[in-house]
Amino acid sequence: MILRAQGLRKAYGRLQAVDDVSLEIAAGEIFGLLGPNGAGKTTVIKMICTLTRADAGTVRINGHDIRSHALQARGALAVVPQENNLDGELSVVDNLRIYAALRRVSVAPNRIRQVIGEFGLEDKARVPVQKLSGGQKRRVMIARVMLAEPELILLDEPTLGLDPSIRREIWNIIMQIRQRGTAILLTTHYTDEAESLCDRVAIMSRGRIRHCGTPQELVAAAGSFVLETAAADGCRVFRLFGDRDAIAREIGMEPPSGQYTVRAARLEDVVAAVETGS
Amino acid sequence: MNRFVDLILGIRAVLLREMLLLKVKVGRFGYVFYSLMSPLIYLAAFGFGFGSRVRFDGVAYELFLIQGLICMTSMNNAYNLVMTSVSFGRLSSKSFQSLITAPVSPVAIMAGLVLSGMLRGFIAALVIVGAGTLLFGVFALSWLSVLALLLNLMFFASLGVVVGLMIRDMESSALIMNFFIMPMSFFSGTFFPIDSLPGVLRGIVTLFPLAHTNIIMRAPALDKPVLVSVLVLLLATLMAGGAGVRAMSRYSE
Repeated sequence: MILRAQGLRKAYGRLQAVDDVSLEIAAGEIFGLLGPNGAGKTTVIKMICTLTRADAGTVRINGHDIRSHALQARGALAVVPQENNLDGELSVVDNLRIYAALRRVSVAPNRIRQVIGEFGLEDKARVPVQKLSGGQKRRVMIARVMLAEPELILLDEPTLGLDPSIRREIWNIIMQIRQRGTAILLTTHYTDEAESLCDRVAIMSRGRIRHCGTPQELVAAAGSFVLETAAADGCRVFRLFGDRDAIAREIGMEPPSGQYTVRAARLEDVVAAVETGS
Repeated sequence: MNRFVDLILGIRAVLLREMLLLKVKVGRFGYVFYSLMSPLIYLAAFGFGFGSRVRFDGVAYELFLIQGLICMTSMNNAYNLVMTSVSFGRLSSKSFQSLITAPVSPVAIMAGLVLSGMLRGFIAALVIVGAGTLLFGVFALSWLSVLALLLNLMFFASLGVVVGLMIRDMESSALIMNFFIMPMSFFSGTFFPIDSLPGVLRGIVTLFPLAHTNIIMRAPALDKPVLVSVLVLLLATLMAGGAGVRAMSRYSE
């Protein structure tokens, strides 16, 4: 396992942001932490990358404990945070130079040229980062971590606030990174992103992992079909069922007053069910 | 051996970042004005105003003033620029995260930041030395004043890292500037001897590191002992450096 986190806890005052979170990620795997804002996903990422101290729990990266062997653990991982943390006044190439120096990338000038080419940043190489668009900054942040070819990359909401076309572009980059054998832990609150990219997904809510498995397993475990009905106030109500017969029995016993539809369940239905506790 | 190489490479990486940021900033008029115009105005105004008429302990005021301004300017530049770099990187641009999550030891990060502050402060001090020589024909540096300058730079750059790591918002930096750095600038013997101050105030001022920098800086001209001041500055630097490494090791967002 590239990453082994056990019993992570973190509280901010009275708020228990993360409560007993454990997860393991294998080489080349994309693991998603899926959940709404405030679920504790970013706090988990920050604890793994040593930016935030956990109140309890352990994290080992490639066998290195992040507390007792912090430098070795940090050397094996790279993080792309949710917020842009590049030096805005500096050019793309200068940001890459600094990162290469911090990570002791050998033959850095060649590697920087290579990465700039791979990420299509040739025409932006000398441009100050603060003049780039949101999507371009995100591309630079991912390009930067690829300089050192880490074994594990933490991506915190990699497509948050991006246009659909740029989201697709970032997805392609993530898939290409996986093909190199790099493990990825990504957080997202987009269920389509988790379904498209992740081998396994953990659904987080109020600081805890509620369910974990492949997207298909999660849907199957929660119920493969959804009965969608209209409530008296016009709101749509969703209920998950294991099969169509169960829905038929439900409708037979208590026919919906308005229109209803039956459809195959999606990951977003599972997440919504977890959130509402239904 | 490996640890030493790691340390040097870590320091080099942090220094590279700070120097690239400095290169961008130096091109801006406001930055140079902020860093150097105030001391140059003090130098011209007080130097021309009192220079030929005032002597302290037999020392011409021009020399006294230039040496005081070297101490003050080096302090301001080393402290302010490191403190701003760390606090802005932590609280605003978030770029400090790149340092803290890199496989670089807290000692290397601390040393890299302190060296960058020392370098900036040293350049600013050299500008004052040059201006003093040009305007008043006084060359204010001796080997002892270079020692004073280096100790001063090391202490205030270390203090800059500590404050930059501790403050919770950018407004707090103004508070520390107004209640600690600025009074220290004016009362620690930059413009007049500490002996002119009333007893209680003089007692407080002798606790200020800048006062000891001034004592060492002027020791050759005033023929005063410097050992205590050197020890005070060394101790203060060790304490600030230790506090900085500790804060860096325990850093948590």
